[in-house]
Amino acid sequence: MLELNNVTISYTNQPAVCNFHLTLGQGEICSIVGESGSGKTTVVRAILGLLSGGGQVTEGEIRFEGKPLLSNTKEEWRKLRGTDISMIFQDSGAMTNQTRTIGKQFVEYIRTHERISRKDAWDKGVYMLERMCLPNGDNIMKSYPFQLSGGMRQRVGIAMSMTFRPKLLLADEPTSALDVTTQAQIVRQMMELRNEYKTSMLVVTHNLGVAAYMSDQIVVMKNGKIVDAGSRDDILYRSESEYTRNLLNAVPSLGGVRYV
Amino acid sequence: MFDEKELILEAKHVTRRFPAPNHRLLTACNDINLKLYKGKTLGLVGESGCGKSTFMRFLVSLDTPSEGEILFHGKDITKMKGEELRLNRQKIQMVFQDPSGSFNPKMKIRDIICEPLMNFGRIKKSEKDQAARKYLELVDLPGEFADRYPHHMSGGQRQRIAIARAIVLEPEIVVMDEATCALDVSVQKTIIELIVRLQKEKDIAIGFITHDLGLIQSFAHQIAVMYLGNLVEVLPAERLEGAVHPYTKALISAVFDIHMNFSRKIERIESEPPSPLDVPEGCPFQNRCEHCMEICRRVRPALKELAPEHKVACHIYE
Repeated sequence: MLELNNVTISYTNQPAVCNFHLTLGQGEICSIVGESGSGKTTVVRAILGLLSGGGQVTEGEIRFEGKPLLSNTKEEWRKLRGTDISMIFQDSGAMTNQTRTIGKQFVEYIRTHERISRKDAWDKGVYMLERMCLPNGDNIMKSYPFQLSGGMRQRVGIAMSMTFRPKLLLADEPTSALDVTTQAQIVRQMMELRNEYKTSMLVVTHNLGVAAYMSDQIVVMKNGKIVDAGSRDDILYRSESEYTRNLLNAVPSLGGVRYV
Repeated sequence: MFDEKELILEAKHVTRRFPAPNHRLLTACNDINLKLYKGKTLGLVGESGCGKSTFMRFLVSLDTPSEGEILFHGKDITKMKGEELRLNRQKIQMVFQDPSGSFNPKMKIRDIICEPLMNFGRIKKSEKDQAARKYLELVDLPGEFADRYPHHMSGGQRQRIAIARAIVLEPEIVVMDEATCALDVSVQKTIIELIVRLQKEKDIAIGFITHDLGLIQSFAHQIAVMYLGNLVEVLPAERLEGAVHPYTKALISAVFDIHMNFSRKIERIESEPPSPLDVPEGCPFQNRCEHCMEICRRVRPALKELAPEHKVACHIYE
């Protein structure tokens, strides 16, 4: 469904990601893991055509349902973003406007993509929030982003991104700003959404535990290059790459190595 | 395992209340009793807003509790003032979460590392270069880094500098507030190894704040779990699997591990902690606990000894 072929992305002639390959089928979850600065976020942003700071795809092609994305016009992008492909960020609170209520922004978002009355859009928003286990959706629609906790804001972000049942969900560090208990809730909800809507997900994370739990495929990146890629079991148990093994060994685990 | 003769610091009935709007009080720490032993690590675990950082700030005298006392070698540090307090600060040092935020960007590494030494008149200006090199090498960094600025270094290197700065005064206690959570796992591992090595060499007691149970159990001796300002369980780290409090169990099951069984369903504890402004009467964990009984809604459970060195605050185990 999503195909990245030999993609090279550069910021002002400095290549940040080289020869990136990825194939993602329907309903599959793929995680990109790696250290900071390895180009994980750059890949995800390139798929949505949102490279910042003069970034450009200089080589290769990105295909979504067989259609090349790179030649999209502005109008085509507008149709695609937020409906067929949507994205959640590390802190969904930063994505929203702090001076407007969640409801106003949610209604605006829905009405941008769909001809629907304000009232119906509001109800749709409330329904989506309640689907994400946010009790009392009406109240949340009336609150401002800063009145919600980090976990709630993240759930609002996911609720928004799932409104139009996207075929592809891009998630950039969706749980790394959250507490462990909230992280477990969000991960479980994302898995449930996948089972229900058959949405494919591309998750960027540096938490290998989360990546291992969620994904069908894992891509390990280092310095803008893929060092290792394959199914979850291949990466976790049968990896030939030394870098991957070192990374896995560094993950602290319960009942694992003790230094004292 | 814990020898009372090795006891360095003891917090007794420490409570901290902050004034909140509408004449209400926010209790950030409620009746905390903890002990730090020489050369041992105490891990303080809990969700954000549970008061773990507030408590550790008392140890370094950045804040004072509303009630209770903190005995450092038998002397109450919360009552210290002036020169006595200044001299006492040499003994207890701190490493912060964000290493770049805790350095002056215009100071060279040499000056950063030597500033505590200069403040307490331990070295002369002419000895700075030598001292900086010595401590840089102690944290496995090349001595030439003394001429660099903090922004020339990676996050892991900066955290090493922060550790070097904390140990130059040969403190007895180092408090680390999420010292590794801004780092990549591979870097985190090397920093933990460094901390453990320094602890063994210098016999430092460490107070480590974190929310990563997998990490803390790998190098702590004692783990204390906090929830909404209350201690709910204190136990030796090697017996973490034997934790009994429902909240500790929930925290353990929320850890994602690469060796876990991936087909296992995630046990999630519903909802989020209530606001610390209106902690319910009775057990603070009652609204998220699946074993909640009638008594939990009325009486707050006290911390009781379940086994040697294992304390728990839960009505089930009374």
